[in-house]
Amino acid sequence: MPYLGSEETVKELKRALSNPNVQSDRLRYRNVILRVIRFMTQGLDMAPLFMEMVKASATVDIVQKKLVYLFMCSYATLKPDLALLAINTLLKDCADPNPMVRGLALRNMCNLRMPGISEYIQQPILSGLRDKASYVRRAAVLGCAKMQNLQPDAEIDGAVVNELYGLLRDQDPVVMVNCLRALEEILKKEGGVVINKPIAHHLLNRMKDLDVWGQSEVLTFLLRYRPRCHSELFDILNLLDSFLGSSHSCVVAATTRLFLSLGSALPAVQSGALERARGPLLAACNAQSRELRFVALCHVQQVLRSLPGHFGAHYKKFFCSYSEPNYIKFRKMEILVELVNDENVGTVLEELRGYCTDVSPELAQAAIFAIGRVGQTYSEKCLSILTGLLELKQEQITSAVVQTFRDLVWLCPQCSESVCASIAGCEEHIQDSEGKQALVWLLGVHGEQIPGSPYVLEEFIDALKTEQSPAVKLELLTATVRLFLSRPAETQDMLGRLLTFCIEEECDMSVRDRALFCYRLLQCGVEEARRVLGGPKSDPSLGVIAGRPEEPINSWAGDFNTLAPVYSREDWAALTATTGGSPSLIPLVTGGAAQADLGSAEEAEAAGSAAAAAAPSPPGPSEELCLVSGPPLSPELFERRWLALEPSRRVSLDWPGGDCLPETLQAALQLVNIQALALSRPHARPWKAYLYAHSLGTVVLAELLRDTDAGGLQVTVKQDPEREEALSSFLTVLKTVMQTLLNSRASLSSHN
Amino acid sequence: MIGGLFIYNHKGEVLISRVYRDDIGRNAVDAFRVNVIHARQQVRSPVTNIARTSFFHVKRSNIWLAAVTKQNVNAAMVFEFLYKMCDVMTAYFGKISEENIKNNFVLIYELLDEILDFGYPQNSETGALKTFITQQGIKSQTKEEQSQITSQVTGQIGWRREGIKYRRNELFLDVLESVNLLMSPQGQVLSAHVSGRVVMKSYLSGMPECKFGMNDKIVIDKQGKGTADETSKSGKQSIAIDDCTFHQCVRLSKFDSERSISFIPPDGEYELMRYRTTKDIILPFRVIPLVREVGRTKLEVKVVIKSNFKPSLLAQKIEVRIPTPLNTSGVQVICMKGKAKYKASENAIVWKIKRMAGMKESQISAEIELLPTNDKKKWARPPISMNFEVPFAPSGLKVRYLKVFEPKLNYSDHDVIKWVRYIGRSGIYETRC
Repeated sequence: MPYLGSEETVKELKRALSNPNVQSDRLRYRNVILRVIRFMTQGLDMAPLFMEMVKASATVDIVQKKLVYLFMCSYATLKPDLALLAINTLLKDCADPNPMVRGLALRNMCNLRMPGISEYIQQPILSGLRDKASYVRRAAVLGCAKMQNLQPDAEIDGAVVNELYGLLRDQDPVVMVNCLRALEEILKKEGGVVINKPIAHHLLNRMKDLDVWGQSEVLTFLLRYRPRCHSELFDILNLLDSFLGSSHSCVVAATTRLFLSLGSALPAVQSGALERARGPLLAACNAQSRELRFVALCHVQQVLRSLPGHFGAHYKKFFCSYSEPNYIKFRKMEILVELVNDENVGTVLEELRGYCTDVSPELAQAAIFAIGRVGQTYSEKCLSILTGLLELKQEQITSAVVQTFRDLVWLCPQCSESVCASIAGCEEHIQDSEGKQALVWLLGVHGEQIPGSPYVLEEFIDALKTEQSPAVKLELLTATVRLFLSRPAETQDMLGRLLTFCIEEECDMSVRDRALFCYRLLQCGVEEARRVLGGPKSDPSLGVIAGRPEEPINSWAGDFNTLAPVYSREDWAALTATTGGSPSLIPLVTGGAAQADLGSAEEAEAAGSAAAAAAPSPPGPSEELCLVSGPPLSPELFERRWLALEPSRRVSLDWPGGDCLPETLQAALQLVNIQALALSRPHARPWKAYLYAHSLGTVVLAELLRDTDAGGLQVTVKQDPEREEALSSFLTVLKTVMQTLLNSRASLSSHN
Repeated sequence: MIGGLFIYNHKGEVLISRVYRDDIGRNAVDAFRVNVIHARQQVRSPVTNIARTSFFHVKRSNIWLAAVTKQNVNAAMVFEFLYKMCDVMTAYFGKISEENIKNNFVLIYELLDEILDFGYPQNSETGALKTFITQQGIKSQTKEEQSQITSQVTGQIGWRREGIKYRRNELFLDVLESVNLLMSPQGQVLSAHVSGRVVMKSYLSGMPECKFGMNDKIVIDKQGKGTADETSKSGKQSIAIDDCTFHQCVRLSKFDSERSISFIPPDGEYELMRYRTTKDIILPFRVIPLVREVGRTKLEVKVVIKSNFKPSLLAQKIEVRIPTPLNTSGVQVICMKGKAKYKASENAIVWKIKRMAGMKESQISAEIELLPTNDKKKWARPPISMNFEVPFAPSGLKVRYLKVFEPKLNYSDHDVIKWVRYIGRSGIYETRC
């Protein structure tokens, strides 16, 4: 065991390393060093051997040198004084006639991390930059970046930067790419390496000489370049077109991203690029390597956000194979649901049904929920499949089906009849609390259509003592009271028992509270209880919000080929929101600067608006409304700006009746890319809401104010910088949203 | 850029760890072990985010390779890099296994040192790497070798060094295809595609210019315009390639304009081209399953396989896997050809046939006894899968010519010895039952 008795091992190795007999025998010496490295890998502290190892670096054996350098780089921070002893050997090696030795020494010297090293490495790096062997130049160029990394506060050396810009014209392609990488790191504070016209054209011409990694990175650097005119833009597109057919999916993805960014103002270019990338993307979805397949699927999902029909004809490519890992199957199912249309719905549902009986319960449930999502449009076909699944009488499947039923009934009221007919008998096969909640809810809301509903609820009430989940109990209370209102004769007795139990014996506070509430509500009279509990039984308008609208390509083009599509949206938001510095390599220059550098919100803001301003506005006289989701504003920043700006316009909107729920309003606004920063509680007077949106290179800030119940809604809009079209388009959008909300509310209340 | 690279065995012990950037601490090694390798549930995603650090992993047999980064990188690039890394290691010491990694760990550290610097990929072509990393340690290099390194790393053509000489100029061309099929129980093809690779081993002197031709539909149709009768002859045999991608040595501009594939080949083995076809695929085998449930404790399975290619060709290494329910208590198998065995640990009947000629048919029947269970769960019936190897290309691809021109040295196309071989293997070849 290496973790035990490390002191013994160290002592023994020390003895061996300083034994002159061992030192004279090259093979034995190397073997001892090998053992040291092996222990180091296993996590043992080998720092006490530093002195002996430094001595071992003076050798002609290149492999031994490499091993000792590896050791020194790992422990130099712990033993800076001893590491200085090794510098001499390294400096000598830097002048060795063999380019391989020179490069090796230079690279490792730069890897040493300790105070004071920079004064020793400066000179070797500078001479390395002019070395005749490109192997040494490669190491020297990256050495510049490492040096900067050692002293992040040191001033940037202009001479080195110039030298590096000069080396962009180096013969060796790797030296060129390394220069870009080094400059990017050195100039991080100033926004990274500058890609101007000559550099961009030079890079474009060298693309063919590069290896895959170089191509992929240069394509990312080129995102920063904006062609001056259309003909230049199309020249670039033509030049890079062949890379869309590269055999490496990372180059394909990087090229696609560049095309999307170049064409951010030209929708035709963007759709053309996606059209060309479809074949390679599909090929990557069937790649041999499952990881690459996974990444490709993530990107397909991203494309589908804007172009739902893009892969419609190829839906069979997304059928799962039995041996694929679950993470691929989940993605494929999500894609299949998106691709459903009138022609393929039968085949896709048949396929999804096959997955419902999968060995993995998670996958089976996901398949059932997927069918439920298809059911929002094709309810009849899905209902027959789901009803069929109930006959399998399996716990997990039944539970998932009932949950799907609940959601379907809420979104598509026309389903309720057949759902009610089929859920009889389900209660025997549901064990988990999620499924129970769904079933109890259905029984409560649609109890009058289900003949046996009181008796099923009674079973639940009888088993109350053994029920663990408070959520089920809460649901049960509401459902029983609801059912009591529609079928009092059968329910009265058990309602009494339920309330007694929950008030007298229950220890969960929220359940007890709910029971007391129900009790007092019933005391107020049946009519009152009906008024409170008799809410809508379904809300089809929610389906409109749940079904995502097509997003503009620019909203995700900047994220293409980064980690954003690979992580789920929530993960990604959590990852970027709190980091302070976004992990993005390159601040985006497209309108959809959603993940631009968040170093500080202000910076991002500036970058976002500058970027949007740089992107020419879409052509056409109609001036389409194009609010885009820009970088988020922090409340402080909003406040500062709000106070600084003059109101551009004040409008009042009609708004009769009460307030709508903040969630609904926020969700509705989000759909059209208006962000709600803060909202008052409903029924508060004055009621206020603060909103903002990005559009046509400006930021629009708005305040909604409602003083009295009678008056309309006062809208105050401020803008930075002034832009008339953006302002009017913002107001049009806002008005439409409010009108839609009003209408949906009116239709609901008339429904009741 | 990549912050660090770790290799673990299946127990989660670190075999290799190399850190390139300061933002990756030693605890990253443990974080991956605890959260992914030792995690109870299945792997959720090949990309894992632990404390704002992204871990990309691939698994080869029971070895885990993980790349770690804190930056927002291109996921596809990192995975391609890991695969390249695996290829390089395989080229050096064969199969990636715990034993091989332990035995070659010095070599791996050397490779990691050359391939990545400061987390940036530097040089990943096996051919070029072999000049830097030789497995004999001490090498007092000759002048010639030194100049070779210099020219190697300054040369315009990164994939080939100058001054290569062979006594015999030889070329080996392998068309390797994997055919994938998903078939419904009724014999309807749900999806089928062939993904193929053209792999070349070239041992040619100098800087030769090669030209490769195949029965690509677009080329043949183009040529067919001139001579009408040729189209009628070869038109049937041409194939439509859905998409194809090439090694970086191929001149893509020429391919786009003339659809001709010309290149200066790297030395040794490399992958010239990768392609995919979905139309007119020759499915080498058809599987016809018949499953009958006799009562609750017995299952009768009959599977017929039919070979569908020229009778003169022989398929090899045929293996049919017939899954059985979990509560199987006993199996009786009768097959006309080959050997069949019930493997309880894999819940499957494995039927192996060494060789089978084209246009033949073979069948297996099995009676499966089931333990009565009170589990009402219906058996999910996984698909019947198949493995095989056939000596032709299921996509129908044919190599028409491969010409070699070397203007400076005096050997001509006729002097080069060329070998062409077609191998069709099964990818995921499943029939539902």
